[in-house]
Order: sequence, then structure tokens, then C-alpha cells
Amino acid sequence: MSEEVLLRVSNIDVFYGGAQALWDVSLEVRSGEIVALAGSNGAGKSTLLKTISGVIHPAKGSIEFAGMNITKLNAYDIVAQGISQVPEGRRLFPEMTVFQNLAIGSYNGKARAKREENLTRVYELFPVLKERKDQLAKTLSGGEQQMVAIGRGLMSNPRLILIDEMSLGLSPLIVCDLFRVLHAIRARGITVLLVEQNVWQSLHEADRAYIIETGRIVLSGNALELCEEEEVREAYFGV
Amino acid sequence: METLADLASPIAIGVLLGGLYVVIALGLSLVFGVMKVINVAHGDLVILGSYFAYVTSTSWGLDPILSLVVGIPLFFVMGIFIEKFLVHRAFRMSVDAALIIAFGISLIIQNAAQLVWTPLSRGLMTSYTLESLKIGDVYLPVVYLVDFAMALVVVLAVHQFLKRTYLGQAITAASQDSETAQLMGINPARVYQIAFGIAMALAAIAGVSLALTFPFTPKSGVPFLIIAFGVIILGGLGSMVGTFIGGMIFGLSQTLGGHFLGPTGQLLVPFVMVLVVLTIRPQGLFGR
Repeated sequence: MSEEVLLRVSNIDVFYGGAQALWDVSLEVRSGEIVALAGSNGAGKSTLLKTISGVIHPAKGSIEFAGMNITKLNAYDIVAQGISQVPEGRRLFPEMTVFQNLAIGSYNGKARAKREENLTRVYELFPVLKERKDQLAKTLSGGEQQMVAIGRGLMSNPRLILIDEMSLGLSPLIVCDLFRVLHAIRARGITVLLVEQNVWQSLHEADRAYIIETGRIVLSGNALELCEEEEVREAYFGV
Repeated sequence: METLADLASPIAIGVLLGGLYVVIALGLSLVFGVMKVINVAHGDLVILGSYFAYVTSTSWGLDPILSLVVGIPLFFVMGIFIEKFLVHRAFRMSVDAALIIAFGISLIIQNAAQLVWTPLSRGLMTSYTLESLKIGDVYLPVVYLVDFAMALVVVLAVHQFLKRTYLGQAITAASQDSETAQLMGINPARVYQIAFGIAMALAAIAGVSLALTFPFTPKSGVPFLIIAFGVIILGGLGSMVGTFIGGMIFGLSQTLGGHFLGPTGQLLVPFVMVLVVLTIRPQGLFGR
């Protein structure tokens, strides 16, 4: 596995409205990894993802991606740099078809040139989407919507994909399938940063993990080793 | 005794007139769909389009329809500037603030038009203004046919643009979820400018249509704005088909209302229909 640090978040403080949501958070994602960011509801996981993708900006600290400082870039410019976010709750464009949702993922100039190629790959990963390509997004099941959301994220031709609460509200069977897809995505050279409330599952699927509690990173390391940590077992698995 | 033949004329005129209403309503609907701002200046922008056609045809002797070759790009660029420098600053505060700005723009256009062109009623005289086409027993004024043809072209063009181009899809996406649109690499501020520019270009087209059909004054924008509201409410926001059908229904009920109730009742019928639709199906006939 490559050792190159693709994403480096250094000591960021983030405020949401008037309240501070993240304190001195640092995190690293290396090229080719699946990294999980786990923690309970309200711990600041989604805030951290939104800060990386530029929807909100940190008050302090910096974010570097592929050697470039992206701390102050706008969300719509960060996409073209190669970071794609699959938002919590999927957030498909409900009145657009599956195909249109996927196609708009390739809006940035670099991705447009590769649209057909990426579309073929997405349909390979999720064959059901090809069958449903003319269906309105709002008429799909939850699992299918999540497939479109991930597919749409891949259409922007990312080097890093941020996935927020992928398994929320989906049946365990579908979640297993989606995790298989994440491994396939990684096998294609795309790095994955995963946010999950489902700590147990995400620790079993990721290479490394960070545990976040009330806006601070409290633990980090090899994902499976974290599973064995007493604190983690007590706090999240109840054993 | 009323016969079908007596009704043929108001029905035909109503449908054709509906075309004009569709073009006026489209620009209003587009800006609302994307920014959720009710652009109360839209009627006045349409009248500005009418004066543009008036000036180019009286000063340069240009055919009003031909003048759109200049009018469409000119109004498009004006729309981008109006959004960027007037509307957007307020819009960043709130949708209500943008509404106030739109009110201001409306007042400025009305009063500036009075200064420049006087409050007198104007109209366009072309070689085809008084011409009619006789089909069966029905005389169809050529300008009404022009209105309808322009409506068809405009609706098809806007529909294709929104559906087939990246920019059109970006506008559609931003109107459904602007935060997620940013995650697709779409700059919402730019989308708002483009949408406003297109709405202004549509106002230019509607202005020509209107000036060919009716006399107008600097204050004529307001009644047409209200008609455009009616069309959108009937058809349902955000639906192109809805806007088109809404325009037809509005035009038809107006001419049929006039036929049965006399000229004073002609606008009563469509607005009663608007009220009925608002009560029974507030999202409009084709709304979601």
C-alpha cells in the first residue's frame, strides 16, 4: 500500500452557528486506504466531513489535499480537485432520473471528459442502476438511492470519496453489499473516508480508524486493534 | 341559440393568447424555481422588452421579432448584472430582502419608463399587425399566431436546454437542493445569475409578443405579472408542461368568460379558476 498522505487535516477548530463543533482535530488519510471516522450521534463526524469538502470552513487549522492547501476553497471548487462527498441522507435530486443524477456528478470539467467511462464503471458496480436509469430518483428504494448517491460521487472522478452514514436506515444485507462495493472502489485506486455511527461494522471494514467524541478525536489507529481496545468495547459495543 | 361555431373563435383566440401568457410566466417560474424569490419586477421587465421593441422598430425600422437577435443577448447580460449587483447581495441576507429589491427594481423601471417614454399608451405597427388568417369561419389575427408560435419555440427550447445541457441540469439540480449541488461542483451563485439572465431573455421575447398584441404603458407590467402568477398557480410550479397548460387554460377561460359574461367579466373567470385550483389542488394541476 502506498504511504503517500493524500489528505491531511491539521488542528482544525470548527464553529457551527455560534457553537464550537470541533476542537483541534487532526487526521490523515493515505492513498489507497479505507479510513473510518466513528463515533456516536452528534460527535462531530458530519461536521468534519463537511469541513473537508468545503461546505463549512474551519476557524483555525488547515486542510491539505494531495499537497495542496484547500482550507479556504469553496465546496464547488474542491470537487474538481478530486474530493467527492456522498452526503448523509443521500440527498439525491428527487425530480431527476437516475441517469441525470449520475450525469450531474460529472459536472466539473475534468470529470466531463471521462463521463462515459465512469458511467460504465458505476453501472458495473451497480447493475440495477442501469435498469432503472430512466426512473425518477424519488421512486427508488433506500438501498437503491444509496447506490445512486455513491455512483454520483464516483462520477466526479475522485481520488478521495467521503461517505457520510452510508448504512443509516438500510437493511444489514444491503449494507454488506455496499461495503463490498467500497472494497471494489478502493481496488480501483480510490481512497475512502467513511463516517459511521455503526462503529463495530466500520471498524471491521476499514484499515484504520479514528474515534471522535464531542468534537475531539479520542482514539486512532489500526481499525481491528481499536476493536480490542477496552474503551471502545465498553463505550460502543457494551462488552 | 349558441352554436359550436360561435365558440370556435373565442376558443382559438384563447389558446393563442395563452401562448403569450406562457412566455411571460416562464421567466417568473424559472427564477422562483431556482432562487425561491418572487421576482415582482418580472412584469416590468417584460414591458421593458416591449419598449425595446418599440424603440428598435420606430427608430431603426427593425421588425420587432427580428430585433430579438439583439434583444435576447442584451437582456440576458442585463439579467446577469441585475442578479449579480442588485439581487444577490440582498438574497444572501434572505429571500425576503431579495423580494424588496425586486419591488424597488419594479418601481424604478416603471418611473424611468414614464420619464423616457411618457405615460402615453404605445403600440407596435407592423405590416402584419392588422392581418388575419381566415380558417373556416374564424378569423385569426396574425399577431396571435405569432404569439403562439413564439411560445412553442420558447417552451421547447427552454425544456431542451434544462434537460440536455450541463448548465440546464445544474439549474435543475440547484433548484432541487442547492447545498448538494455544490458537492457536484456547481457554483450556486453562478447558476442564479444564469437563471436570472435567461428569465430576462424570456422577458425580452414576451415583451415583443405583448407589444405586437396589445397597447402598453409604463404601468402595464403589473396586470401581466398577476396573470403570470395565475398561470403558474394553475399549472403548478416547476413544471414546464404545467406552465404551458396553465397558460392555455388562463387564455381560454378569459376569452370564454368574455364571450359569455361580456368584456367586464373576462378576467373574472380565470381568476375564479385560480382560486378554485388553490383550494382544491394548491400544488397546481401539474405540480408535485
